[in-house]
Amino acid sequence: MTMQRLLSVITYALTTVVGLVAFLYPFWLPALHQSALQQQAHAGDSALMLTLLVAICLAVLLLEAQNQGITTKAVALLGVLVAINATLRFMEAAIPGPGGFSPIFPLIVLAGYVYGARFGFLLGALTLLVSAIMTGGVGPWLPYQMFTAGWVGLTAPLCRPVVRWLGGPGTHAEVAVLAVFGGWWGLLYGAIMNVWFWPFAVGSAQMYWQPGVGAMETIQRYLVFYAVTSLVWDLARLVGNTLLIAGAGAPVLRVLRRFQQRFAFTYHPVALQEPR
Amino acid sequence: MKNVENLTPRRQDARTPGAQLAARPITHPVAWVFWVAAVLVALTTTRNPFYLALVLAMIGWVLVVRGRRDLASQPAAPEISVVRFGLIVVVTSALFNMLMVHVGDHVLFTLPEAIPLFGGPLTLEALVYGALNGLVLAGLFAAFTVLNRVLPVRAVLRLVPRAYYPAAVVMSIAVTFAPTALQQVQQIREAQAVRGHRVRGVRSWLPLIVPLLEGSMERSMQLAEAMMARGFASAEAQPDKRPQLLMLVGLVALVTGWLMRLVWQQPLVGSGLLLAGALALGSALVLAGRQHPHTVYRPDAWHKSDLAVVAGAVLTAMIYLLPWPGLDRSSLFYYPYPALTWPAFNPIIGVATLGLALPVFVR
Repeated sequence: MTMQRLLSVITYALTTVVGLVAFLYPFWLPALHQSALQQQAHAGDSALMLTLLVAICLAVLLLEAQNQGITTKAVALLGVLVAINATLRFMEAAIPGPGGFSPIFPLIVLAGYVYGARFGFLLGALTLLVSAIMTGGVGPWLPYQMFTAGWVGLTAPLCRPVVRWLGGPGTHAEVAVLAVFGGWWGLLYGAIMNVWFWPFAVGSAQMYWQPGVGAMETIQRYLVFYAVTSLVWDLARLVGNTLLIAGAGAPVLRVLRRFQQRFAFTYHPVALQEPR
Repeated sequence: MKNVENLTPRRQDARTPGAQLAARPITHPVAWVFWVAAVLVALTTTRNPFYLALVLAMIGWVLVVRGRRDLASQPAAPEISVVRFGLIVVVTSALFNMLMVHVGDHVLFTLPEAIPLFGGPLTLEALVYGALNGLVLAGLFAAFTVLNRVLPVRAVLRLVPRAYYPAAVVMSIAVTFAPTALQQVQQIREAQAVRGHRVRGVRSWLPLIVPLLEGSMERSMQLAEAMMARGFASAEAQPDKRPQLLMLVGLVALVTGWLMRLVWQQPLVGSGLLLAGALALGSALVLAGRQHPHTVYRPDAWHKSDLAVVAGAVLTAMIYLLPWPGLDRSSLFYYPYPALTWPAFNPIIGVATLGLALPVFVR
């Protein structure tokens, strides 16, 4: 059992590090290229390689989460929740919401908070996958979307100690903490998804290399790019997530907790005895 | 009200078995995966406008021929037009690159230095390079539009490796339940509309979400009970740890191998590590897949035409990716800085690119 725990910890640590390195590579790669300039041949395929790395990290995490996180009963629950969330993503078109607002995050945050990190991860990643398959949105951006949305659910239980410190479950503070958490993830999600897009828009690593460009200026450029292209959308997502969790948080948490209790039955197969 | 009615999921093959048979893909899904992978390789390795234009033409041809013919059912939401998306991306990234990168010999005009970041000389080279990057992005989008159009949902679900059987079960439950959930949304909206609820901004979500959640959770409860009653995974075995361990080893090997090639200038050791990592990942998937033995109902058949599509894709990818003896690949790595030059064109690479067009000829 301890062996399994160790393996889980290593999995999360390693995928986090590799994921961060892959997401942030536009910031560190140019600095490397300045020291070694004979890279022409490899500059082009680094975007592909990093997409692959993110996909592999995702595969490792999925294996860990599906083997440890979901029992047989949770398979049904997860499937239905993914269906609801994917449906909510459909409805984006039908109900006017502000800008980049998407109603999928509140449920990921709340379910991850109540049912645990692995459940939240699976809900986030599979929601994006299923809705992409159904709406025809499969693309090289999908691993990044799944990874990031999975992270939203994975990190949601981090709110638990904060909530306990502020007065415990069932109080207004609980919903407030979750609303703030969801809001920030709305902003962060946009920023991370932009990093995927960025190397293509500005050219990967080498293409915007110029003498004296260090990590600092690269970050500066990214901030400009971000502010110009997507800040408004992401702010809308922040506001939308916060409002939705603040409004629907308490009743949704009640529903999730009630079903947590109802799902807590165990199944003991009893060997049938032949009547004598 | 009228909005929801045309929101049924795009592909309805999940509902009726007859439609599902009709929606069987003409080309094997795995062959399509090979094709998209080859397109990805070609698009990301080169920035030469000639090759890019050729690859884009191939994608466009396949999109026009196969994207129309194989379309599984009518799309619900209107798709984003590939041409419009491409134009927007090319123009945006060209302008942005020109404004941000002040490198190059051909200065078009100069912005005052007082403006932070944008100020400085604006060059033709930066403009061209931005446009080329935009073309790459447009090509990626077009290629995946093809994939999204030709593959029905069930075919995509079958592509999930056996190692991810639990996740695949979750996905097929979700795909099966999604139409019901949509129906439920419609019923809830009608019920709320009778009570005078109107759809406006974010607030309108609240009276919809809670009943939807409550009803669906109830249904998942029934499903869980039904699954357990039928003995679904009634003996929960302790899962094998080895695949996860192998995958971690493979990940570490891939990362170090890649960094070795890129940073520490050790191409041989790096390539070896990349290969070892790929092997470790592959065997991890096989090992994990053995835990979930299952059979496939009506497996998709491989035709000669599928093999042709795969062969064409592999040929293109190999030429773009590997340094063959006697093949001059330098024209692939076109780079307009510091001064714009006319790009070179190697006919062998050009011919190899035509391998991407093979799906067009499949009947």
